[in-house]
Amino acid sequence: MASKETYLGDVQDVNGTTVSITLSKSSLTGFVYIDGQGYRVGQIGSFIRIPIGYNDLFGIVSQVGASAKPENQVESEATGNRWMKIQLIGESQRNGVFQRGLSQYPTIGDEVHLVSEKELKSIYGQPDKPYFVKVGHISNADSIPALIDVNKLVTRHSAVVGTTGSGKSTTVASIINALSDNNRYPSSRIIMLDLHGEYGHALKDKANLYKINADVPKEKEMHIPFWALNFDELCEICFGEFNNEKDKNIVLERVQKYKNSSLAKYPKNGSSVDTLSVDTPIPFSIHNLWHELYLETFGTYYSKQAGRPIDNLAYELDTNGKELKGNPNEGITPIFKNVKNEKDDDEKINYLPGALNLGKHLLLLGSKLRIPRYNFIFRPGEWSPKGDGEVIRDLDSLLKDWIGSDKPATVLDLSGVPPDILQTTIGAVLRILYEALFWARNLSQGGRHRPLLIVMEEAHLYLNDDFKGMASKVVQRIVKEGRKYGIGAMIVSQRPSEINPTILSQCGTFFALRLTNATDRNHITSALPDNLDGLTSMMPILRTGEAIILGEAVKLPMRTFIEPPPKNARPDSQDPVVYDEVPLDESQNPGGWGIPMETNPNYEELIETWRAQSPKINKIIEDK
Amino acid sequence: MQRTSVSSSNVASVGYDPDSSTLEIEFNNGAVYQYFDVNENVYDELIKASSVGGYLATNIKGKYRFSRV
Repeated sequence: MASKETYLGDVQDVNGTTVSITLSKSSLTGFVYIDGQGYRVGQIGSFIRIPIGYNDLFGIVSQVGASAKPENQVESEATGNRWMKIQLIGESQRNGVFQRGLSQYPTIGDEVHLVSEKELKSIYGQPDKPYFVKVGHISNADSIPALIDVNKLVTRHSAVVGTTGSGKSTTVASIINALSDNNRYPSSRIIMLDLHGEYGHALKDKANLYKINADVPKEKEMHIPFWALNFDELCEICFGEFNNEKDKNIVLERVQKYKNSSLAKYPKNGSSVDTLSVDTPIPFSIHNLWHELYLETFGTYYSKQAGRPIDNLAYELDTNGKELKGNPNEGITPIFKNVKNEKDDDEKINYLPGALNLGKHLLLLGSKLRIPRYNFIFRPGEWSPKGDGEVIRDLDSLLKDWIGSDKPATVLDLSGVPPDILQTTIGAVLRILYEALFWARNLSQGGRHRPLLIVMEEAHLYLNDDFKGMASKVVQRIVKEGRKYGIGAMIVSQRPSEINPTILSQCGTFFALRLTNATDRNHITSALPDNLDGLTSMMPILRTGEAIILGEAVKLPMRTFIEPPPKNARPDSQDPVVYDEVPLDESQNPGGWGIPMETNPNYEELIETWRAQSPKINKIIEDK
Repeated sequence: MQRTSVSSSNVASVGYDPDSSTLEIEFNNGAVYQYFDVNENVYDELIKASSVGGYLATNIKGKYRFSRV
């Protein structure tokens, strides 16, 4: 039997995986020394070991004291309140290899022992295996690294949850930092959806940063060509809801026609006019489509003239007598003469026969084509199609930029995406990635041979049940099927209760940081892969930067101190300083309530940033 | 903008652009700020000051408007 000093007590009651033990008198001092190191007895969340023959069973302390007593235990003075409740989690053979799951149960009278740091090390530690990545160290044992199995982490999906300020972004940055270590993983592949632009600075050495209104050359301009969207996404972004199926079908048929003629003129490998569907990513001119539909919706024509009505449109004239035909490329609408039907006037003007009923939708799209904020999608740089569908760069170079570049990670900074299309944009980005890697599954750059980890920041904003969002649908598909095609999701959120439960329940690994809200905690507890009430009840009292990691990627649930990335590589999400704690002449903050403000503050520049939709004012001197 | 390293408990380096009167400060935590419309003599005094952090606190912070870059 193991050394006597680790002895805690005996098993009294076994109920499924819950074991109740009584503490022995000698362990009641509360402090035990093993190999010169002190251990406190009965710490919630600490490990215990139950030797059974040649095997050891391991468990976690979940409850200590009088209430840990089995319910129908007869009052007995001898044991009083010296009870402890344990959740069993796994066992190890005598050779020390730890496995999850149990092949046998303990029984009454079995001895229960404390787990010393040396034993813990043999359970947790295999730092020499390159598929384990270190993210920090075990909370009460600095010498034991917290190792995560990269295979399980990526393919079985993961979730990082925690209240604002609990160290979520630092944890994510730390994980990505470790995974994008070029020496160990020379072709790791990570893409991150960064909703608030927090990570650009933190990952600047390891990641390409794509952003709307990019600060070239540090960042690159983000483009998401509208023609890569499928029909539903396109409608969502361009037109909003249709009144009826008929209107939708008219647009569908028209998009198909445009794609057809574009493909006929610029053939692309893999698709032909016969197999083309309205969802196939083929470039076409949305500007021309809009203009054409606009004419057919709002147009008036000279009804007395011979020929087709559409050839006799009654455009209004400008002061020079030129017809105001509008300009499809700039989103400028044509202007038509009013309907005229007077008795003595020979010139009759009427609405087009069978005019389309798409007025509201086309006005909406027209404004989007004009507003620069939507340029990343409707005028996507070199991916902008000309009138006949010609593009300078095709989708392959877009994907190569995102997931095939020389850098292991890519950050898509979505902070500039207009909120009304954010959901759909994210859905579209994820679907583009998913489809590409899914269909390319046999290729060396496909998902099966070079898996992709997609990190989704602030996931509650777009994976919410309340929205009928595209993003939620795609992510459900990724978490359910992505495993087979090498697409892994890491879902990061401060409000897990707002995330679609299907998505959360598919996450195999959880990094649970401090989480105080009870609704959120229950949501997590119910989604956890392990039956560990004791551990999850610790979530409100975790320190900042401390996480409970549990699930498939770790051997045992572990309470971990996440090692923060180097100072210059931390995400930009620190709280603003209201009053700096260090004296003014040592403060690294130029602002805050403790410093008087400048005389005559400049609010012109404040508005400048808002109008420009960019936090950078013109006055800033850029490095050339 | 070229910045000169300074030894200070909070400031890492300081730069100045005379054309636009812009003073650039890099703090030890890596954050870079530009102060606008700062006279050149303020910059000269800043880099010569025995305590850069102290000079910054008394003569620049709260006097000039700034932006993070």
